[in-house]
Amino acid sequence: MPQRLHAEFVEAVGADAVASDPVALRSYECDGLTGFRVVPSLVLVPRTAEAVAAAVRVCAKHDVPFVARGAGSGLSGGALPVADGVVISLQRLRSVVEIDVVNRRAIVEPGVTNVDISRAAAPYGLYFAPDPSSQQVCTIGGNVAENSGGAHCLKYGFTVHHIHSAEVVLPDGSTTVLGGDSPQLGGYDLLGAFIGSEGTLGIATRITVKLLAKPAAVKTLVADFPSVEQAGDTVSAVIEAGIVPAAVEMMNALAIKAVEAAVDAGYSRDAAAALVVELDGPQAEVDAQFAQVKRLCEEFGATKLRIPASAEERALVWKGRKAAFAAVGRISPNYFVQDGVVPRTQLATALTRISELAAGAGLRVANVFHAGDGNLHPLVLYSEAAGEHERAETLSRAIAELCVDLGGSLSGEHGIGTDKVCSMPRQFSEDDLATMARLRLAYDPAGICNPGKLLPTPRLCGERPGVYQPHPLEAAGLIERM
Amino acid sequence: MAQEISFTPSTVEQVRAAVADTRASHPRLLVTGAGTASGWGAPAEPADAVIDTTSLTGVLKYAPSDLTIAVRAGTPFTTVQETLAEAGQRVVLDPARARRGATIGGLLATADAGPLRTAFGSLRDLVIGTTVVLGDGTVARSGGHVIKNVAGYDLAKLFHGSLGTLGVVAEVVLRSHPLPPAMCTVAVEAGAVEAFDLAGKVVMTGLEASALEWSGGRLLVKLEGTPEGVEQRERELCRLAGATARVLTAEEADAAWAGVAAIADGVQGTTVVRIGTMPAAGPVLVTRMVAAGAAVASSMAIGVHTVRFAGGDHDELLTQLHAEFGAAVTVLRRDGLSADRGWGPPPAPVRVLQAIKRQFDPAGRFGAGRFSPWLEDEERAS
Repeated sequence: MPQRLHAEFVEAVGADAVASDPVALRSYECDGLTGFRVVPSLVLVPRTAEAVAAAVRVCAKHDVPFVARGAGSGLSGGALPVADGVVISLQRLRSVVEIDVVNRRAIVEPGVTNVDISRAAAPYGLYFAPDPSSQQVCTIGGNVAENSGGAHCLKYGFTVHHIHSAEVVLPDGSTTVLGGDSPQLGGYDLLGAFIGSEGTLGIATRITVKLLAKPAAVKTLVADFPSVEQAGDTVSAVIEAGIVPAAVEMMNALAIKAVEAAVDAGYSRDAAAALVVELDGPQAEVDAQFAQVKRLCEEFGATKLRIPASAEERALVWKGRKAAFAAVGRISPNYFVQDGVVPRTQLATALTRISELAAGAGLRVANVFHAGDGNLHPLVLYSEAAGEHERAETLSRAIAELCVDLGGSLSGEHGIGTDKVCSMPRQFSEDDLATMARLRLAYDPAGICNPGKLLPTPRLCGERPGVYQPHPLEAAGLIERM
Repeated sequence: MAQEISFTPSTVEQVRAAVADTRASHPRLLVTGAGTASGWGAPAEPADAVIDTTSLTGVLKYAPSDLTIAVRAGTPFTTVQETLAEAGQRVVLDPARARRGATIGGLLATADAGPLRTAFGSLRDLVIGTTVVLGDGTVARSGGHVIKNVAGYDLAKLFHGSLGTLGVVAEVVLRSHPLPPAMCTVAVEAGAVEAFDLAGKVVMTGLEASALEWSGGRLLVKLEGTPEGVEQRERELCRLAGATARVLTAEEADAAWAGVAAIADGVQGTTVVRIGTMPAAGPVLVTRMVAAGAAVASSMAIGVHTVRFAGGDHDELLTQLHAEFGAAVTVLRRDGLSADRGWGPPPAPVRVLQAIKRQFDPAGRFGAGRFSPWLEDEERAS
């Protein structure tokens, strides 16, 4: 990076917030998707929202691409740096500014971890509902960027349902506020479109989140099944009975084995599938529906029901489930995490096809998924050392595209990022993608805000004729197309 | 100037054709549905052609086991509910305009909702996919048919509250919920301040009320769920609320909720506005409005207040509300306002609104005037 530009960044954020030595830069070269690595030119670690804005202004002035980064725990390469660009880390912006008990909301900085919001709210009987498995480390800024879900979003929805407003630094370095004090606000829902935009429309520097009252009662069961199909049918029966559980999670034999090896959470090592069903709400509602869920599990062939007797035991069940990704490291040297969604009624078909694809590739696939909403997390196990990388990558992509073919989506919660950007044309037409690009252009005409993510480009994914877009000067009648 | 004409497309392709074919001959378009929100926002300027969506109807795909339904956007909301009810489901939305035939697309474009907004939000929270037609004839889909989906930008959010200024919403995919087997409404006599405190207690006790609506000197609490659950929660609520709490009969409950809806509807000669505040600021505003002779329905727990002023000239009142609450004030009915009365101070990101308008509708074809004066500088420039 030219010395003069470097000096401008120093002036914007302070010398102690600029990292440029090669070792420091290397530690930002990837996020949770480690297969993609790019060393950035500069890393900025500003201490204030004003410094973030100042840094972005320098980027805008000189057309320097920037990538915002929270904990770097994302699984789609959404925080992958750009080689000639800067990374703006939000790690130092991590104060819980205010817990507003009366209005049940918290004002937090983007670097606050998901679980720390609930921790800060706990003394008041409140919590933040979205609970991605990475909640111990992932930040609220990242949750907003990815519209993170989690095990409990079946009943409670995603991050987009739990944010009141966000102060955002736009790609031109100006600051604005999206959303407001209540859901009633005139104009397009800019906040809703911003949440889940994967850091491509701006950087949230202060976020007002919704806090919920802790449910009066919670009941959880773990049911073992002789097959994943039977477990899947049980999920359908529960949903068709008109029950909306707080969470319905499933793990197959391989995933259970991994979890038990890592955490010892009490899952049956010999079960072909384990179903975790959690109900929460008013006591009498939970009691009535829990009895119904138990009956359905038995009816559909559950071989064992385990009902945690205490909050600690329940926490252990969840610890096991949420540790599943990392636990797979115990049974395989390397793995890819997939994140496709299918209509829930297609679960059985999807699982059968995935095992066929896996057999064809000669690889093992562990399955951990949010069964209630059809969000699959197939973990493709492989060995880098044995030269299986490419085969595993191909299988992983085939699984995601299978989900699209079954009427679903490439991603339920991890995002498109860098990972799936070239699969986007499988799910969306050129016109769909060109229309999405209009939203991006409205925010970032210069294309400097997390470029290369979310929308495919010919450079990334091969030449692909796009819809003709008139140059702004042409649209304004100042130039003509030759 | 071209002669005003009207199109009544019944498929996305016909919408596309109508929009694309009129680019030169009838550049300025007005999108209409059932017409139940024609007074919302600022008055639309005269257009060259009308895209009437009332024939753009029908269920495209209903998958009860997946809790999703895809419909054409001109389908009346009540038709969708009837279809869902046959399979024991519903869309958890109860806008007043539904009774007057409001369409799904219209409800999305106006960001409307009723008392159930307290627990379930608005269509922004329930739409999982859309197909829209832009002014150059582009047909674009976003989202899809699954509830959990983060692939691509969620364009439905942009069209939520867009008042027909970005394009035509042609198809919508919605999330459905099971119909609760039991429900009841408890009414508690309470002033606005007490009602706010009680609403807070109801939330904090984990009673999971579906609606907490203050209107006409009482807080209406809707409880939905299993028969056992509703009964238990009803008892707990009555204990919490004290002597003036009363479980309404089904007829009384219907009448009470119809009364709430009537405030949003308004009648000839009235002005109706919807105002958003911090929840805790609600009681003061509501008390003031009632003292000024207005009828109020307030979703106390989330700070959304619908206010109906009786006959008279309301320009001065609106000026005051605009000064105080800015872009959080939406006009729903404008009989007491001067004809050209538009929106108040714009929201902070007005430049982004303008940039989006410019990107999606660069020729300025759709809904001129509806956001006046927020988008006007841009409209003049283009």
